[in-house]
Amino acid sequence: MSELTFTDVEANVCTIAGMIEEDKLYFVQMAGAPLMAVLLAKHTRAPDVGYVVEEGAVAPNPSFPLPRMMLGASKSHRRAVAWYGMNIVDSHAALGFMDYGLLACLQVDRFGNFNSTFIGGTYEQPERRFGGPGGANEIAAQCWRTLLMTKLQPRKFVKELDFMSSAGYLDGTPGARERFGMPANTGPYRVVTQEAMFDFEEETRQMRLIAMMPWVTEEEVLSKMDFEPLVADKIETMQPPTEEQLAIIRSQIDPGGLTVSRGEWYTIDTETGKRLS
Amino acid sequence: MEVIASGIGEFRPPDPDGFRAYVREHKERRLVDKTMSEQDAVAKLVADGDYLAFDQNVAVRGPASLLREIIRQRKKDLWVAAKFTWTDASLLVAGGCVSKIDVGWMATGRLINEAVRKGDVKLIEWTNGALAYRHLAGSLGVPFLPMRYLAGTDTFTQSGAKLIEDPYTHGRLCLVPALFPDVALIHAHQCDIYGNARVMGAGVAPQEIAMSSRKVIISTEEIISTEEIRRHPQRTTIPYYFVDAVVHAPFGGYPGSTPGLYAADVEHWLEFAAAEMQGKTDEYLQKWVFGVASHEEMLDKLVGAKKLLQLQKAETVREGYYE
Repeated sequence: MSELTFTDVEANVCTIAGMIEEDKLYFVQMAGAPLMAVLLAKHTRAPDVGYVVEEGAVAPNPSFPLPRMMLGASKSHRRAVAWYGMNIVDSHAALGFMDYGLLACLQVDRFGNFNSTFIGGTYEQPERRFGGPGGANEIAAQCWRTLLMTKLQPRKFVKELDFMSSAGYLDGTPGARERFGMPANTGPYRVVTQEAMFDFEEETRQMRLIAMMPWVTEEEVLSKMDFEPLVADKIETMQPPTEEQLAIIRSQIDPGGLTVSRGEWYTIDTETGKRLS
Repeated sequence: MEVIASGIGEFRPPDPDGFRAYVREHKERRLVDKTMSEQDAVAKLVADGDYLAFDQNVAVRGPASLLREIIRQRKKDLWVAAKFTWTDASLLVAGGCVSKIDVGWMATGRLINEAVRKGDVKLIEWTNGALAYRHLAGSLGVPFLPMRYLAGTDTFTQSGAKLIEDPYTHGRLCLVPALFPDVALIHAHQCDIYGNARVMGAGVAPQEIAMSSRKVIISTEEIISTEEIRRHPQRTTIPYYFVDAVVHAPFGGYPGSTPGLYAADVEHWLEFAAAEMQGKTDEYLQKWVFGVASHEEMLDKLVGAKKLLQLQKAETVREGYYE
């Protein structure tokens, strides 16, 4: 029996990396797990994939290993085709060039609206204030499809957001996004977690369970959510992380372990895909 | 034009004509030497109650030496644009310099949480892009610009944006008011004595911020000749007439990196993070800001030549900046 141990964030990064397509353009949140997912894809199966980051680097080719703190550093902007600023790259999304936006969030609701502002209390008296949406609104409104990354936990998948920082399908009614000025035919596409993946049903725009890791059951997934999602007729099986992916993350992409070493640890049997601990 | 919804967030009413009048009255048109010490620049150009904008952050090419001087001079009641910032806002809040923050993204922690709960600091919600776009509106001399995001969210409600019916397409659009800061701080790689500044690498909005601000302070790693500026005019990011002060500040981005020149001092960041977590930011400021008279003295006494050399060596990428 061979075992593989990884964190929830690592699983998430690996899943997204496996979804990256070389013939698409990506608009990526500046740091953290979303950027790591694209970098893992670039390092493995999609070396030529183009992406932009908020601060204006267009299609960079980072040098690995990245520094411990890679926030906008020269190593992550290296060998771009262009260096602009925020207004220019945001306009590239407004023009429809960005196929996918990649974002993380604190809380998400059944229509893919999400929170990155505060948790608990009220807006004026927040229990825990966070950094704010950053570039999430411009990315989630203007890229054709948004990939959201978060952890499968009841406090993340909530009936009601503490604060709607950024829009998903709003109340789910047809044309809701357009009524608030957002471009047509855009919106959240998938919500990816360490154990399950969701899409949004076409008519009701409600979140729908479409895939799970081999070690969980539908019941377990639903128990980790504060609301009940729709469930697809056929639930696909997600591919767990591979040894190769994890080695690249740990040695090249996040060598300091700043992002990936926190969170819940999983050990699985690689043959059966079952969780051992 | 019908306004369908408005946010309740506080903003300064945009005043492009007021800005034009200020420019006509106050901005220097001649090529004059604007070099001065950080102490003079901040004393002359940053007033209590000012709206303060800066490009980048304490991690990368932020105007860190000027921010420390603002704290050293105990400026008060500033309204800060925190777009794409890191611990910059926390540092200014620790120094007691801030009363309002326009939020795009900032690192938060104990300090900001407590200041917000106590009501010492008021937050107004925007996004990184919305704030950069408000600078763009300012830099174009118009009172607002339309854009296709923000409305429908709680962020919109806590901002000063408006949702309108577009008179051309009859669809709906979000409007944001132009931002005209009182003072801008931009850390540049190179600048001449008149203020012709070169910023290299991706930036948030150095041009838009400089253009939309009444007073502009450039801190620069290197003072270069105007002859060099005129030999490569395409490399000029900000021309001289926008600029009021040029401060020569090698390692001015410290503890952050200035791309192409030196890497960030990660240990210093951890020192600040630890101080914040333990509620000891007063001690941190005493050591790094109040305990020294200037940026130069801080580098000399607290950082040291050996460390600075290490940081230069750690920045291995020069391609695109100097090559």
